[in-house]
Amino acid sequence: MRVRFWGVRGSLPVPGARTERYGGNTSCVEVTSSAGTRIIIDGGTGIRRLGKEMMRAEFESGKGRAHILVSHTHWDHIQGLPFFAPFYREGNHLYVYARQRDDQNLRSVFASQADAPFFPVSFDRTRASVAFRELHDGAQFEVEDFMVATARLNHPHTATAYSVAADGARVAYIADTAPFTDILFGQEFLSGPSSRNAKLTRGDKAKLKSMASAVARLCEGADLVIYDTMYTADEYRQFPHFGHSRPSDAIAVCAQAGCKMLALFHHSPDRSDAEVDTMLADARLQSAAAAKGLEVVAAFEGMNLMLGKA
Amino acid sequence: MEVTFWGVRGSIPSPGPATVRYGGNTSCVSVRLDGGEIIMIDCGTGARNFGISLLAGAFGKGNGVATVLLSHAHWDHIQGFPFFGPFYVPGNRFTVVGGSHGAELLERVLERQMAAQFFPVQSYRNMGANIEMRGASEDRELRVGNAKIVAHSNPHGPTEVLAFRIEADGKALVYASDVGYANGGPPDETVAAYRGADLLIHDCTFTPEDRAQRVSRGLSSLDDAVEAAVRAEVKRLALFHYDQDYSDHDVDQLVARGRRQLDAKGAQRIEIVGAAEGLTVKL
Repeated sequence: MRVRFWGVRGSLPVPGARTERYGGNTSCVEVTSSAGTRIIIDGGTGIRRLGKEMMRAEFESGKGRAHILVSHTHWDHIQGLPFFAPFYREGNHLYVYARQRDDQNLRSVFASQADAPFFPVSFDRTRASVAFRELHDGAQFEVEDFMVATARLNHPHTATAYSVAADGARVAYIADTAPFTDILFGQEFLSGPSSRNAKLTRGDKAKLKSMASAVARLCEGADLVIYDTMYTADEYRQFPHFGHSRPSDAIAVCAQAGCKMLALFHHSPDRSDAEVDTMLADARLQSAAAAKGLEVVAAFEGMNLMLGKA
Repeated sequence: MEVTFWGVRGSIPSPGPATVRYGGNTSCVSVRLDGGEIIMIDCGTGARNFGISLLAGAFGKGNGVATVLLSHAHWDHIQGFPFFGPFYVPGNRFTVVGGSHGAELLERVLERQMAAQFFPVQSYRNMGANIEMRGASEDRELRVGNAKIVAHSNPHGPTEVLAFRIEADGKALVYASDVGYANGGPPDETVAAYRGADLLIHDCTFTPEDRAQRVSRGLSSLDDAVEAAVRAEVKRLALFHYDQDYSDHDVDQLVARGRRQLDAKGAQRIEIVGAAEGLTVKL
């Protein structure tokens, strides 16, 4: 199984010299099995260059097939999709998966991104066949030779974690999520850190606990865990209400679940390359103390990992 | 008047080593009048860095006032809106001007970008600052300090886009992005709207060869930008809104080629620059 990172940034793309090494594109990860099945997780701006690469092969002639797992529909996870070239070639088959919601139809959320007056090419003019599949929390299903499992995350408007397994290897993608301790995110808008003073009810705590154990199960023995570690400890104290985690949260999950490798991911747009280096060095110190045998890396655009059988 | 570029790219931000010099952020230009008034033109991802720079001053304390002009609502011109820091400081006051269909439509458009399924803040009303929406119309001019601002409607594929002419302190700036003229280049009334500008910021998404393949996009080539500058007899032309796949080297070529074209047309006196993130032009 091959894992490639096309976008590692959170919130919005940040071009410029400060982000040249880790990359400024928003979230997009590609996982390919040795049989050639292609799963793409999230469609941030990184998916544009992946799409261009795909068009150099079977997608150019309209014979391509790929599966796109969407963690949630915040901009930084879908804003690259209108620029994903394989959508515009007849004959290609794309399958989009995301969490089912009672209040919104998945296809219409996607299609609305390409509506006037925001984008010149309406989603109806997409030439490829695009099928949408709405998922229940905890859904498990097969995607060709991959086994996919999901878990609900703690994030405004809710997000979905995925694990994908093939070739005897497994990758978990845990983004975006807050820790499962201080706030239970629902639909409401939280205006500031003071929102966390709202005491968690017993019911809230039970929900958080069950979310945490579902995520732990998803990560159990994973070869690679890609985790939203947007915040330093200080930033988390200031912005607990935005729904993101710290490296220490990811390390704790990986330690408990006996994972082999953790990739820090969804870097803050404020984080320069040197600051990501520092965050990684700190995380490695923490991990050495807390999680024996866990290798910690910081995801960067172009990072290419081979797991299990090639 | 002082003009600064914060985002010069079209369509989608294009981070990476190939775009570090000109920059990969989408469209955003700021204007500071001699009287200190602030105008932001378009709100692509470049607006984030502009916002950070403003927070060091009055906008960080909730004493800032600014006008935001939006040429149109394609993503690359509004996607920085949710990430413009001064919008989150209570006390700051903004007037957002855009579209020719009135304040209500403008508000609906900007609200959709903030909606819960796309962004956690859910509404621009949750941002903190006082943000007032206003429709621009072609015949009504807008005043900011001693500046007179006139909007001019241009074709942009199947839709329309506003160009803005800002006159203040005896100088004139024209911002004309995302324009796809019909064959034959800008019509006379458009040339009149650009006439004699000290700085014309003009769409130059494509080389003439690339534009020929993508006419329906409703965007300009280098030829269109040069033609507009020459006919309107502007003093300086800034190429703008580069295609996301153009590297710094490609843009260097565009600028050099533009220089040669201007010279060939006998317009040696017109200066040409490639707009770049961080570039400030004093008029």
